[in-house]
Amino acid sequence: MRPLDRVIRTRRALAAAIATRAALGSFGTVLLTAAFLTAALRGSGVATSSAVWLVAGLVGAVALALLVRPWSRLTVPRVALWIEERVPALQYALVTAVDPAGAWPGATFLEREIDRVSWDRVAARAIVRGLRWPAVAALGGLAAFLLSLRVGVASAVEHDGARPSVTTTSEREVPAPFARLVATVRSPAYAGGQVVRVESPASIAALVGSAVVLEAPGSGDGVTADAGDRSIPVQRVGAAWRATVTVETRPEVVRLRHGSAERLVALEPRPDSVPVVRLLFPARDTVIRAARGELRLSAQAHDDIGVATAAFEYIVSSGEGESFQFRSGTLGVRRADSARDVALDAPLDLDQLGLKPGDMVHLRAVARDGNSVSGPGAGASETRVLRVARAGEYDSIAVEGAPPPEADKSLISQRMLIMLTEALEKRRPTLAHETLVSESRQIARDQTRLRKRVGDIIFQRLGNNPTGEEGRGPDDALTSDSTAPAVDSVRRDSVRRAAARAGRTPREIVAADSADSARAALLRAASAATGSGDEILDFEGDETPVVAINRPLLEAYNAMWEASRELDQAETGRALPPMRRALAAIQRARQAERIYLRGKAPAVVVDLARVRLTGKEKGAASTRLPRAPMDPAAARRAARLAAAIELASRSPAAAIDSIVLLRVQSLDAAPQLAAALADALVAMRSGRDATTALARARRIADGSLRGAGGLGDWSGVW
Amino acid sequence: MNLPPLALPTSRFPLPGEFVFATAQYESGDWDSAPLVPANLIDSVARYTSLPVAPTGAIVALASDDLFRFPLVFLTGHLPVRFTDAERTNIRRFADRGGMLFVDDHNHDIDGAFHKTAVEELTRAVGPLSRLPNTHPIYSTFFKFPDGPPNTSHELNGWGDNLVHSHLRAAMRGDRIAVLYSNKDYSSEWGYHPDNKRFLAIDNTKFGVNIIVYALTR
Repeated sequence: MRPLDRVIRTRRALAAAIATRAALGSFGTVLLTAAFLTAALRGSGVATSSAVWLVAGLVGAVALALLVRPWSRLTVPRVALWIEERVPALQYALVTAVDPAGAWPGATFLEREIDRVSWDRVAARAIVRGLRWPAVAALGGLAAFLLSLRVGVASAVEHDGARPSVTTTSEREVPAPFARLVATVRSPAYAGGQVVRVESPASIAALVGSAVVLEAPGSGDGVTADAGDRSIPVQRVGAAWRATVTVETRPEVVRLRHGSAERLVALEPRPDSVPVVRLLFPARDTVIRAARGELRLSAQAHDDIGVATAAFEYIVSSGEGESFQFRSGTLGVRRADSARDVALDAPLDLDQLGLKPGDMVHLRAVARDGNSVSGPGAGASETRVLRVARAGEYDSIAVEGAPPPEADKSLISQRMLIMLTEALEKRRPTLAHETLVSESRQIARDQTRLRKRVGDIIFQRLGNNPTGEEGRGPDDALTSDSTAPAVDSVRRDSVRRAAARAGRTPREIVAADSADSARAALLRAASAATGSGDEILDFEGDETPVVAINRPLLEAYNAMWEASRELDQAETGRALPPMRRALAAIQRARQAERIYLRGKAPAVVVDLARVRLTGKEKGAASTRLPRAPMDPAAARRAARLAAAIELASRSPAAAIDSIVLLRVQSLDAAPQLAAALADALVAMRSGRDATTALARARRIADGSLRGAGGLGDWSGVW
Repeated sequence: MNLPPLALPTSRFPLPGEFVFATAQYESGDWDSAPLVPANLIDSVARYTSLPVAPTGAIVALASDDLFRFPLVFLTGHLPVRFTDAERTNIRRFADRGGMLFVDDHNHDIDGAFHKTAVEELTRAVGPLSRLPNTHPIYSTFFKFPDGPPNTSHELNGWGDNLVHSHLRAAMRGDRIAVLYSNKDYSSEWGYHPDNKRFLAIDNTKFGVNIIVYALTR
């Protein structure tokens, strides 16, 4: 082979080496640039995009252009010089032999000398040495890019996790098929069919019957979806795949799977409320005398979505006793065209109903919404009853005006009555007889009232069932059924007649009669003891305890009676002595000896250690009671939440899934916990610190957080 | 302060050497009319001093030999006092042997039955009661009372005999008070639960501490 051919072969090898080095170098540059940008963006919480690769590609192209430039300098003389530089044994024979200036007389000699020298190994070693660093750069770039992805995930963990101290990386990144998941929620047709678009949904709250379309770009190959035990078909639509699911009445979780990757979306059903109806008129149940004329009916209805129809319903019940007949009907039907608030008015023609005395009309307002999925929901107002009075019940309907109760008047004291009487006695010569009688009788009435009050005090001590000697008269036999045969028939008949007249039972009549007899006996004893009332009572021998206790008051009672009698006859002068005796008796009663029983003195033991401040506070006043055992279901929820929080440090995505499942299962049983978990999920998914939300959820799950339930009775501002 | 150990019955006084506040029980009258005074003074002794003190008081019959186990005995009442011979004899021996009897008129009335009879009986037992000067060491042995015995609210309110008594009276044995007699009604003034002491701006039982300390140190 001629020297020129050998040089050209070497030039080809060098050109390939330059191309390889440029490729490796640009590849490494692209990867390094992408790694830098990815780490920078994800470290600041910004998602990576195609712009990163665009920038990296530009930088790589620049690097490629720079690295390919030596290609243009690969001429035969330069390659020959490159070889001469590395193989000194050629002694410039190769440069001379390949000189393009033309043939040289000693060329043959030179070719023989060149043929004896081989530079292939040297050239290969040099080429390999030249490719070493570009290859290292390419590998380094690749490693840096992979590292940037991992570093980026670690940064995300710090934001998503419950604890800011988490530094480990997640094993699961957001799976690629679900990275750009979008949910489109279409409410049911009766609710207007509104469409709401939710990006990267974690939980969707929608009306029952709403259609939820989960959609993401990609082929959807290998993507499966299910909700509980039912499978959801995944369809490919253009450049995207979608799965459609309907919101059921129970909360559930839609699981999207692709290989080992999984994405959970919680579906929260929002039930449609039934309409709320208020019957405005008639405002209350009514009894009418004659069923004639027209009655205006008025009602209001409100629904969260919209009222479809509203009307008044009535039921007429006729009859009495065991025989009733019913008629029903509807009034004022109105189609509301899904208005949320509906006012309903209609007249009720009583003449058309043909009501008879005793009939009752039950009235209510009813509204129905347009729920075609789980309804329609019907709401009704409370029922009013319109009753037609019977002819024989007019007396019971009318309410007679009762006289007002007698006002509680203060009593005039005995001392004041004496003063009034003395003053009247002084004025007696100057007064006309009628005036004297009138004023004297006024004092007599006051004296009588005071005497009754004294009598009340005396007889109050007897009680309702007088005991002792006074209460055990022969009439007491009537109070016991066992002794009834001993009562003569005449007495029994009189009691029955009295009971019938008074509307009371014979037993009550007998008891009252017995008490009256006891009082009469007591008064007889007092009168017998006091004689005409001129001397002070002095019981001896067989005086009863009741008489003994009330002796001064009994004396006052009798003296007052005597004074009243005199005052009633305008004999003021003769009334004063008994009035003064009554006052003296009251004074004696006031000065009666009173015995106050003395209690046992407390045995005080001085706590010396407490007094000397050397003791220990036992804290008896703040004794802690053991907590009530936690509800097993609540305990399980608390344990699951604790496990999820623990999992957040190792696998945030798995922790999010666990919390999503826990939240869905807590929606019914523990709505407060579910709300707290929703806050935590939002924080975790958006990359914010979820520590506060998770801590609150844990307090709720542990049962240590309870609502105050409003202000206490005495906690307001005075 | 080191006190000589007292030979107290173990059943009631488990710790020898501690001060036990004793209330005298006598045959006549209402000796137990001030049941809260002992606890109140025990509380004050514990509060202000380091004296070893029993947490509850004791009741000692004047006629019994147990009387001599106590260095200080408190006697009060409203009703007439008539000592028995044994009580009178014991009081005399008690005073002669170093004990101190503190007598307080619960009536706060120099015309009252207790005052008249108690002074008479005490005079028969230990000799006449003389006015105790307000400079006596009992007014300065712990707390300082430069004006003599502190007045009680009952005196100042004009209850009882409408007098504010300026002096206490005493029967002396040498320069030691054997019987201290008060018309000031400290029995009412100190007759409240010690827990209620916190409601007072000034503790009115401090003079009681003086009496106890005096009795224990003289």
